[in-house]
Amino acid sequence: MAKVTARTPVIKLRGLKKRFGIGDAENYALNGIDLTIKKGEFVAIMGPSGCGKTTLLNIIGLLDRAYFGDYELEGKPVDSISRRRQALIRSKQIGFIFQNFNLVHRLTILENVALPLTYSGIAKTKRLIMASEILKNFHLNEREYYMPYQLSGGQTQRVAIARALVNQPSIILADEPTGNLDSRTSHVIMEELAELHKNGNTIIMVTHNPSLTTYATRVITMLDGKINTDSTGKVKTIKTRRKTKTRTRKSIKKTAKKIIAKANRKKGYALVTR
Amino acid sequence: MRSLLANHIQNARQALQSNRARSILTMLGVTIGVASVTAILALGGGASKIVDNQINTLGGNIVVIRPGQALNVFSNITQPQTSQGYATSTLTESDVDKLRDLDHVNAVAPLMILGGTIKANEMAPTDSKVLATTSTFADISDLKLREGQFLGEDIAENAAVVGQQLSVNIFGSESSIGRTMTIRGKQFVIVGVLKMINNPINFNSIDFDNAAIINFETGKVLNDNVSQIQQINIRADSVKKLPSIVKSAEKTLQNNHNGERDFSVLVGKEISQPTSQLFYSIAGVTAAIAAISLFVGGIGIMNIMLVTVAERTHEIGIRKSLGASNRDIMYQFLIESLAISIGGGIVGYLAGYVVAFIISEFLAFGPAVNWQIAVSAVVISIIMGTLFGLYPAIRAARKDPIDSLNRHE
Repeated sequence: MAKVTARTPVIKLRGLKKRFGIGDAENYALNGIDLTIKKGEFVAIMGPSGCGKTTLLNIIGLLDRAYFGDYELEGKPVDSISRRRQALIRSKQIGFIFQNFNLVHRLTILENVALPLTYSGIAKTKRLIMASEILKNFHLNEREYYMPYQLSGGQTQRVAIARALVNQPSIILADEPTGNLDSRTSHVIMEELAELHKNGNTIIMVTHNPSLTTYATRVITMLDGKINTDSTGKVKTIKTRRKTKTRTRKSIKKTAKKIIAKANRKKGYALVTR
Repeated sequence: MRSLLANHIQNARQALQSNRARSILTMLGVTIGVASVTAILALGGGASKIVDNQINTLGGNIVVIRPGQALNVFSNITQPQTSQGYATSTLTESDVDKLRDLDHVNAVAPLMILGGTIKANEMAPTDSKVLATTSTFADISDLKLREGQFLGEDIAENAAVVGQQLSVNIFGSESSIGRTMTIRGKQFVIVGVLKMINNPINFNSIDFDNAAIINFETGKVLNDNVSQIQQINIRADSVKKLPSIVKSAEKTLQNNHNGERDFSVLVGKEISQPTSQLFYSIAGVTAAIAAISLFVGGIGIMNIMLVTVAERTHEIGIRKSLGASNRDIMYQFLIESLAISIGGGIVGYLAGYVVAFIISEFLAFGPAVNWQIAVSAVVISIIMGTLFGLYPAIRAARKDPIDSLNRHE
């Protein structure tokens, strides 16, 4: 893979289209997306339900291959990467955080966190040690041998974040990470993500909650499979993010609310938090 | 890769343990199949071993000629040929004479097995056989007499030697020298009674305890003057000469049969293929049970694996999103089906021996214990697990990660 510098676009999408159905039922979930995301950005993607946010995230995360257009990951066209290699990239470079946590129910917390390491070829003892270490960072070390159903929503999502980070991925994809959590827990989780961003990770987060966009350095709103607004293409450093927090929080919140209200009026969409 | 394999094995163990009853029931199909196969092989091995031992006891210098081409080992099990075929034997008296003239041949004895009722005070059981042969037969097959003498040239043509059990069956006594019996209505005088050998499985395919032995010429008369030779036994000077005798016997017989190769010259292990009717009836039934239960067991594995894949679709989605490749997912489910089949196979192997030991209580031989049978059980299990687990595993591997993630448990 090409050498990545701070200015290198980690993700580059050109004319990205994703179609569902054929004939009369044909519908474009993504209809010509051009997007460049640089290393170290914290991107929040917003928009009404069905506008293609999750589809975009799935394509970026190499889970969805059936699309038109160009996608370059760290300078390399994804088309030219074999399926097996893509799986390896998912395991080593990409960390997924889902709204509904997606832990394997019959595995313990520790085993769940160690799961991505299994596919990177790390030996059992080592991967359990690594998983245990990361759980310690999330103050969950006392619950290592709990089953997922024995934890609260916030704890479960922290386990899911720990799992996403255990391989030290450079890109973190979060699909409505706080969708199932109360506002207090949501902010705790967002602080965790902000901390990761501070450490230089690229974070792409889909959310319906405008108040969470304040943690992001860039906010993209989508409508009908297209990018509607893009707050900035500039990479903000961590220091500036803290300073500009209040200003951006207000302006972004306002813009996002406007867009969503407009879309709801126009299309009859309901803003549903999944 | 090794850590991944260990992980798959651990996963399979966890998955099977979490559905213990289901896993055990699925294993049962394989267990019954493998147990049947093990029992067949163990008993077959036991029967062969007995004949092997006999040949070795006789000095290992025996050549046996049978009509028709010898079948391979597999056809021997699936299509057993009994010594009394319905077709006319291809071996003739002139064959016997010519074989007698070969170098290094010590003795030759033709075997002609006849049907027919043996009757004296009582009627003999229907499985009693009449063997027409020459005086050399006793030597070659090492038959020992309890009393009296064996057939010979100086003995009357209506003389007969009977097995001890037959003597008891028809005369009510083990001592029957001088008494008369009828075979196919013709009278015979008993001149000798054989020692009890209690060995119905032997390379002559005759239970000598239950047989009457008469002169070859007399047997021919009973058979409308047609000789119907089912087997020719040859004893060589020494074991070393066996290969040369086999070669010359083949050549001689082929010349005698106008170039037709309608006979088999067998030595050593070739002779010891089990020929007992009893063994084949058991083997036939068990082979059918084995085949059916292996197939049904296999379908059971496939069915359960398809259910497992459907139940764990969400997990497949999670694993794929965390970096599992299609191959990883395929191996995970394939190893799970292999765990079922190998587990069932091991239990089946042990159960097969239990069954074989129980059956052997009613037979004259015990089951053979050797590594080949253990390997066969494991190989059958592996083949079953792979064959019937492959389709569900491929289905699991091909699942779309996004669809799978959206499928909630």
